[in-house]
Amino acid sequence: MKSWKKIVVAGASVLALATVASIDSQSVSAATAKPKGNITLWVDTNNVPSYKKLVKKFEKKYPKVKVKVSTSPSGSASAKTDLAKDPSKAADVFKAPNDQLGAMFAAGYINPLSPSAKKWVKKNDVKLAGKAVTWKGQYLAYPQDEQANIIYYNKSKLNATQVKTWKSLTATGVIGTDFTNAYNWYPAFLSNGTYLYGKNGEKLKGTKVNNAKGVQVMTWLAAQKSNKGVRQSGSALLSDLEAGKTSAILDGPWDGQSVKKILGDDFGVSILPKIDFGSGKEKQMKAFAGVGTLAVNAKSKHQLAAATLAQYLSNHKSQVALYKGTNAIPVSKKAQKNKAIKADPVAKAVIKQANLSTVMPKMDQMASFWNLAAPLIDNAYKGKTPASQYKTQLASFEKGISGSSK
Amino acid sequence: MHSYKRQQRLSLSLRYLLLIALVIVWIFPIAWIIMTSFSVNLSGFVSTFIPKQWTLSNYAKIFNNKLYPFGSWVLNTFVIAVICAVVNTFTTTVMSYSLSRLRFKLRKPFLQFALVLGMFPGFMSMIALYYMLKAIGMTNLAGLTLVYIGGAGLGFYIMKGFLDTVPKSLDEAAELDGATKWQIFIHIILPMDRPMIIYTSLTAFMAPWTDFIFPSIILSTDSAKNKTVAYGLYNMMSNTKGLSSQYFTAFVAGCVIIAIPITILFIILQRYYVSGITAGADKG
Amino acid sequence: MFKKKAHTAPEATFKETWQEGDWATKLSFIIMGISQLKNKQWLKGLVFLLSEVIFLVWFFYNGISAISLLGSLGKIKKLTRVFDKNQGIWVTKQPDSSMVILLFGLISIILIALLLVLYYVSLKSTRHLYALNRDGKHIPTTKEDLASLLDTRLHQLLMFLPLAGIFAFTVTPTIYMITMAFTNFNQYHPIGFSWTGFQAFGEILTGSMAGTFFPVLGWTLVWAVAATATTFVFGVLLGLLIESKGIKFRGVFRTLFVIVFAVPQFVSLLMMSMFWDNAGPVNSWLQRMHWITEPIQFLQNANLAKLTVIVTNMWIGIPVTMLIVTAIIQNLPQDQIEAARMDGANAFQVFNKITFPQILFVMTPALIQQFIGNINNFNVIFLLTGGGPLNSKFYQAGSTDLLVTWLYKLTMQSVPNYNIAAALGIFIFIISAVFSLLAYRRTNAFKEG
Repeated sequence: MKSWKKIVVAGASVLALATVASIDSQSVSAATAKPKGNITLWVDTNNVPSYKKLVKKFEKKYPKVKVKVSTSPSGSASAKTDLAKDPSKAADVFKAPNDQLGAMFAAGYINPLSPSAKKWVKKNDVKLAGKAVTWKGQYLAYPQDEQANIIYYNKSKLNATQVKTWKSLTATGVIGTDFTNAYNWYPAFLSNGTYLYGKNGEKLKGTKVNNAKGVQVMTWLAAQKSNKGVRQSGSALLSDLEAGKTSAILDGPWDGQSVKKILGDDFGVSILPKIDFGSGKEKQMKAFAGVGTLAVNAKSKHQLAAATLAQYLSNHKSQVALYKGTNAIPVSKKAQKNKAIKADPVAKAVIKQANLSTVMPKMDQMASFWNLAAPLIDNAYKGKTPASQYKTQLASFEKGISGSSK
Repeated sequence: MHSYKRQQRLSLSLRYLLLIALVIVWIFPIAWIIMTSFSVNLSGFVSTFIPKQWTLSNYAKIFNNKLYPFGSWVLNTFVIAVICAVVNTFTTTVMSYSLSRLRFKLRKPFLQFALVLGMFPGFMSMIALYYMLKAIGMTNLAGLTLVYIGGAGLGFYIMKGFLDTVPKSLDEAAELDGATKWQIFIHIILPMDRPMIIYTSLTAFMAPWTDFIFPSIILSTDSAKNKTVAYGLYNMMSNTKGLSSQYFTAFVAGCVIIAIPITILFIILQRYYVSGITAGADKG
Repeated sequence: MFKKKAHTAPEATFKETWQEGDWATKLSFIIMGISQLKNKQWLKGLVFLLSEVIFLVWFFYNGISAISLLGSLGKIKKLTRVFDKNQGIWVTKQPDSSMVILLFGLISIILIALLLVLYYVSLKSTRHLYALNRDGKHIPTTKEDLASLLDTRLHQLLMFLPLAGIFAFTVTPTIYMITMAFTNFNQYHPIGFSWTGFQAFGEILTGSMAGTFFPVLGWTLVWAVAATATTFVFGVLLGLLIESKGIKFRGVFRTLFVIVFAVPQFVSLLMMSMFWDNAGPVNSWLQRMHWITEPIQFLQNANLAKLTVIVTNMWIGIPVTMLIVTAIIQNLPQDQIEAARMDGANAFQVFNKITFPQILFVMTPALIQQFIGNINNFNVIFLLTGGGPLNSKFYQAGSTDLLVTWLYKLTMQSVPNYNIAAALGIFIFIISAVFSLLAYRRTNAFKEG
């Protein structure tokens, strides 16, 4: 019985709060309460040591707050699933990718940022970061780092000019990729001038892909099957590169260290190439620009402490420290000007590519989007979808991702 | 006569050849897994049968990683497995005995009820179990153990089938001598039931080592140390996007470490496994 | 022969007990245990009395509210957000958690049902006491009662704890699962959901899920038949080969095969998915030998993946059948076989008339179990293909997904569809039940023994 009684009690107290506090989101009044309490933080297992160091500093600054750093149960990429299972058992602050924020906000799992925090993020971080966490005028989480797909290539087989266009890249070398992952290849549709959930990624019916441009991309994907310079490496992405079966790969920054080890002196990085999808014009290939964020659990008993921690861990100094410890590419304006980051070719390429790319939308339908986009792309690439069905498949995809709650 | 013998010899060598070929097909993937655990690997993917570079460091790595406390996992699993083996064997034995030997009103309805109950897939109930355990504050290893032993009462079919074949005249003779049912259970049935008891405890002991789904529901919010080995290893591969390549060979090494004792145990006790599956069918 | 020997006096009716009984008997109809206490059955009486007291306290303190919420599954369905000026932060108020309300409502109903059963038992006991008093018979003392637990009522003693476990850990969660199929607990109602009747079933049979359900169901059945049949047939053949005349080191051969079965599946199958990969060792080797130029799509082509799954399952399943078959062959009646030989039967006839019928006879129950097990074979599919390859015509399922792996995806993955998954669970149950009830009736464990 205990837990639902707790819910009732919590509910009543929030109601009481609501009547006391006047609802005025515009005024940024000086907060009088001080952060305190024991809170937990979920981050990826491999990043735990770096965060522990930062948390120690945080606890020194706020001695009334005790923070326990532990691992995201299914990894931060599945933050929403972990939270949905039982929000009250989830951490007070947790790492989450920006595309899941909308769904978590709609479900009520997370709290938006306070007006002052929003101002702070706006001032500190690059524009892209703010855009990535904006949802209907609110900021949903504290941006920490950014990601985008780039090209890693073997310098002994390809040169910097050859990787600039898809044509020369696949004519000279072989690029390994994974067509079963929509994160890699849905941006092809975006590069060819279609929109996903409208221009700003917030319009449910804003996806227009069932048109000539969409069919062009489907046709292009199918053509890649017979392109000798393209290899569906799947989970053997790095292995194929190591074995010399591929001379370049399309991958994100998280594999940077591993690729460096594999290629050694021949390690080369570049932004994504330009591709002609069949219109006769070469277009810059976009990626999905993703932003790693820290979100605050709506169920947290110590909201203020949680928000303070999330803000601390996403400030410029923390971002630089996390870059050093975990290779997370910062989004703070100041941190991006840091010498070490400027000298890092991966970070440089990612930052450049991210600015050329589309920010992953935060619609609460994003999970459906990922589920439906992957087979759409994979089956087109494999030739399982005949050309005559492109339009019907695109239409059902459009419908599937634009469904609203009944 | 001479040609008949030659034919026989030819047939025998052909059969040996076939058998050896089959053994190679069967054992090869296992050997490949073991070889992989000794390989140097940067990419998190194995594309060759035989490693290009050999190393022992994977085994050192799996034991010396603070983020993945493999040693604690093994210890946790061992404790759970022992408790399961003891409690589940006890539960199964008393249930089988009661349902095979004692006569009471609800016996038949219960047998049918148990059969029906066993056919619902377990996944959905896991979520309910999670909330129930949470209500009593036991979303931890103890709660997991409770789940493992809680449902054991339904696993009586095989042992009951075996006990059904033990002649009832034994019980009756003892009853005429004035023995109570309890005494019959202890002194007559239990000794006869030995192969089944060994079979049951063997399967109960092995289950926690291989289950990764239940722990992933119940233990997910607990700390890294409080995991079972199957869940811990599985989690190590599934939740470290991009970094799994660094841990891949260590993961395989961890798998080999737990697979070896389980395999040996199974091989030693395989005859009990056979009697478990064929139990009850001998008598027709 | 197991009939009760004592206490067979004709029992009174409840009506007679109520009308003729003394004050304690009458009071027992309202307050359980009074009559037992009066007749000095202290332990029994106390248990009855305490159960009622505890139940009533719980019922008024918690039970009523838990059950009253069951109809609506929580009043607040919409979430609200308010700005807390004092702390300078937003505060979210979530809807009432229907999952928790539903669970505790169900537990309350189960508790009430249990109390009603206990009430019935106490009445029966009261009636029994009344009859004993009326007939002037000996009333068993607590000590005698306890002694009977070791003899005539041994089943009560032995089965109490296991049954409690089954109720708590199997029955309750199963009922909970069934009820969820009648709600709209999905991605649009993740916290506060309501009752929607048979909507989820309609969705599966005729609605948006039908296009996935029927193909997946078809493949599940094909898979279950193929997986059971292949492991059986080839297991028998392998068993015969090992036991054939002249083969030595049979134990060694058996053990070598069995190793595969003994290795935990999450190890062997997870690795096998790499083994068959386009860039995996098999394809790499074939390419290096120049036998093929393009990798064989073992796990990427839908039909080939289905075949790969069945073949890999044979790798795991055949050793088990082999193990049993060799045991059966060793126990065959040798005199019968000799007699048949003398009559001029050849090896095939012996197999056909003696060996195979015996194998089939012994293994039928195991085969049925394997078939049901294969319908629900989560591990092989989940670990080997993860349901893949992807299928753009299915909803949240791949080409090799079984009903049970699809169910898992619907609950544990990014887009939760608990109601659909729960309804699927009921369908899986119906399918398993139909098959096994047809078959189980003929096996030993359920023949009256």
